[in-house]
Amino acid sequence: MKRNHTAVTAATSAAGTSSTTAADVTEKGKNNNNMWNEEDAGVDELLAVLGYKVKSADMVDVAQKIEHLEGVFGNDDGLSQIASDSVHYNPSDLHSWLESMICELNPSPEPVIIDDSFVNDSDLQAMIYPPAKKVKPNCSSSSSSSTVTGSANPNPSVQNNSNNQVVIVDSQENGIRLVHTLMACAEAIQQENYQLAESLVKQAGMLAVSQAGAMRKVATCFAEALARKIYRLSPQPPHDPPAFSDLLQMHFYETCPYLKFAHFTANQAILEAFAGKKKVHVIDFGMKQGMQWPALMQALALRPGGPPTFRLTGIGPPSGDNTDYLQEVGWKLAQLADTIHVEFEFRGFIAGSLADLEPSMFDLRNDEVLAVNSVFELHQLLARPGAIDKVLSAVKQMSPEILTVVEQEANHNGTSFLERFTESLHYYSTLFDSLESSGGGGGAAVNGGVDVGVNGGGVSPVSSEDRFMSEVYLGKQICNVVACEGVDRVERHETLTQWKTRLDSAGFEAVHLGSNAFKQASMLLALFAGGDGYRVVEEDGCLMLGWHTRPLITTSAWKIR
Amino acid sequence: MVFMAASNEEIKPNEAKKVVPLHTWMLISHLKLSYNLLRRPDGTLRRELAEFLDRKAVANIVPVDGVYSFDVVNRTTGLFNRIYKPAPLDNNGSLHRLATGILDFESPLSSSEIVPVIIFFHGGSFTHSSANSTIYDTFCRRLTRDVQGVVVSINYRRSPEHRYPCAYEDGWEALQWVCSRSWLVSGKGRKVYVYLVGDNSGGNIAHNVAHQAAVSGVEVLGNVLLHPLFGGEKRTESERRLDGKYFVKLEDRDWYWRAFLPEGENRDHPACNVFGPRGCDLAGIKFSKTLVVIAGLDLVQDWQWEYVEGLKRFGHDVKVLFLEKASIGFYFFPNNEHFCKLMEEMKRFLKG
Repeated sequence: MKRNHTAVTAATSAAGTSSTTAADVTEKGKNNNNMWNEEDAGVDELLAVLGYKVKSADMVDVAQKIEHLEGVFGNDDGLSQIASDSVHYNPSDLHSWLESMICELNPSPEPVIIDDSFVNDSDLQAMIYPPAKKVKPNCSSSSSSSTVTGSANPNPSVQNNSNNQVVIVDSQENGIRLVHTLMACAEAIQQENYQLAESLVKQAGMLAVSQAGAMRKVATCFAEALARKIYRLSPQPPHDPPAFSDLLQMHFYETCPYLKFAHFTANQAILEAFAGKKKVHVIDFGMKQGMQWPALMQALALRPGGPPTFRLTGIGPPSGDNTDYLQEVGWKLAQLADTIHVEFEFRGFIAGSLADLEPSMFDLRNDEVLAVNSVFELHQLLARPGAIDKVLSAVKQMSPEILTVVEQEANHNGTSFLERFTESLHYYSTLFDSLESSGGGGGAAVNGGVDVGVNGGGVSPVSSEDRFMSEVYLGKQICNVVACEGVDRVERHETLTQWKTRLDSAGFEAVHLGSNAFKQASMLLALFAGGDGYRVVEEDGCLMLGWHTRPLITTSAWKIR
Repeated sequence: MVFMAASNEEIKPNEAKKVVPLHTWMLISHLKLSYNLLRRPDGTLRRELAEFLDRKAVANIVPVDGVYSFDVVNRTTGLFNRIYKPAPLDNNGSLHRLATGILDFESPLSSSEIVPVIIFFHGGSFTHSSANSTIYDTFCRRLTRDVQGVVVSINYRRSPEHRYPCAYEDGWEALQWVCSRSWLVSGKGRKVYVYLVGDNSGGNIAHNVAHQAAVSGVEVLGNVLLHPLFGGEKRTESERRLDGKYFVKLEDRDWYWRAFLPEGENRDHPACNVFGPRGCDLAGIKFSKTLVVIAGLDLVQDWQWEYVEGLKRFGHDVKVLFLEKASIGFYFFPNNEHFCKLMEEMKRFLKG
């Protein structure tokens, strides 16, 4: 916005060492009730006043770029030589200026660009990082060290009455403050005080930006989820095609040991149940990409006395385009089976819900031993009344030798929203924390039941893409736990104790997983570079994998009483 | 319940980002980055690039947010000073006159009230920035509005092109210029009620000008030094502890002293180490009362404390505002408590 000013008659123009470049300075309060000119909309006002045009939405990015360049400049004087020979364009557009500096110094390929429609809701971003409004700080001597409230506006003719809370990144207790803000927001939502909740969620969003690492990511996920709840923007599941969900889970698989642990321990139990049997059948309630089965098949292949015939029935949700993706997975497994000389048969079932399945669909054969495997599937059934009972009773009817269940070790299904929120905040913080620390992972394919052999040796570092996708994966769960209700809320995790009660009353009893499984699970963890924080714990014959003192995943095995 | 407690024993490199407000962090980091580009290892500066990158603001005789400004050239130095005045209440059509571009250089500021005239020396380690740098223009506007006085922001010749004592000469010249302007006079005493304010190198200049004023019998009512730039040969504890942690590296500081002090001099030169082994003698002179603002994250703070002690030793009135968690440049943005505390304290100091 240009200023109108008439020539100053009594002053001569500047001489001396500074030549003036007429910079555009945001004009405030000039009889103009419209604070925002189109070109200035979304621009951070505080920086604009100092001559820098940075969009509020770009603030974080600019900060990151500055940090990046700092690192590059830190140690090399020669670099400044190169840099200053570069062409500088508009220095008030910080974002581009920094970008051009970075490109000058480091022409490396752009990181993977994720399709925005999956990851970002730009309206949501705008809500959480609103354009900075002008703030007149409340300078009372009793103000707390980190929060300033005020209504903006030096021009008294325009009143800005919105409850603009600006939170200052001022002390190292901001992590605590952030947690309190998130909790206060959840409480406000529980009390249906949406106005308060709205300002708190914005505050949380801004505080989150001030954090680093795991805390920042968790806080951002939760703040976004809270915003969705407040503004009723819950996505209707399943809005992601199964291909994408599977992709996310695969990255999660690579990034940290939880899923590998789950598969490994479940396979152990299944192997033991199949001991000495000639014909075996596994029904997998969540086939996905079938990551669990190659290891089992290999273990079966190496069994003394030779492998059994192995039948696998995989269940998956419908894909939007009606493709039979399960067949593809089955085909790949068939090829593997061929190379290791295991007789293999595969059948895929598309089902909207596990409750739609009937035992008669599975072509159960009398001479076969059956194992039913459920990794992160059972909790979803709790969204519809009666579904879990139907499924458990169907399983009972099928008379499996063993039912393996892997579930998140948390109660995210409480009736009180605040309780759910608090629980999940703890749970996912721990999970993100472990993700942050996991430098290594992936690569090791473990043979369940035989030697803990490492395929290909060594541990490959976790790529930033893997980590990012894992965060998206977890972020979606967080959104579901916090922002959804009713049948939409499928991430209804429950603890082992709760599952025990359920399975008990459905007529199942626990099978001890055995100390062998425990030892081998511990060995598996030792293979991870970030393995220091992971802990395997045995509880009542079930195995739990956790981060430090917090168990996160539980594997349990069941048979019919 | 804290489940993500960071261990705070050792300040990690990205700690600044957690402690310093986001805007301040971004601005100071950005400035640090660009200054890195400008300094050459041989002690010269890329001046044209510096001027290009520095964001500048034009003066505006039309009041914006209750403050208007205009530039006046000091014919002796050839440098311009920027004057900031609170917008007049329009009971005698003065606002209208301003709008038509007429400035009054006849009347005093007031014939009854005392209107403080603050001479402001901008910072930049004697090397960077000018009175019309946007960061300083904005600060001076805020200061004018909060104190309801006149602010005269001074341009001084900068190093490495102009070394000691050029900046001090220009500062002294500015004081004399201000005191001799009839349109800056106020009160029944019909004189110019002058205060000296400066940040960083400007604070250093303010001290020097105050010293000269005291020796020459020119009355300065008070000094406000905002994390002033002092130093010395020895390495202090704060310099060692905070080196490189909050935007400033000791080696950068050394570069600026080398560029400012006469060639061949070291940091115990009295311009740098005011009360050091070759320091000043302030005994028996009427030195203005001083307010020193010290930022807890400034690596140079130990030198500032030594300055305070030095003033006390000579029996002069000095007050400290210690902002423990403030970093340098905290006053460039108004959205933090350090800024508030600063303004409150300054108002008190400049009115008392």
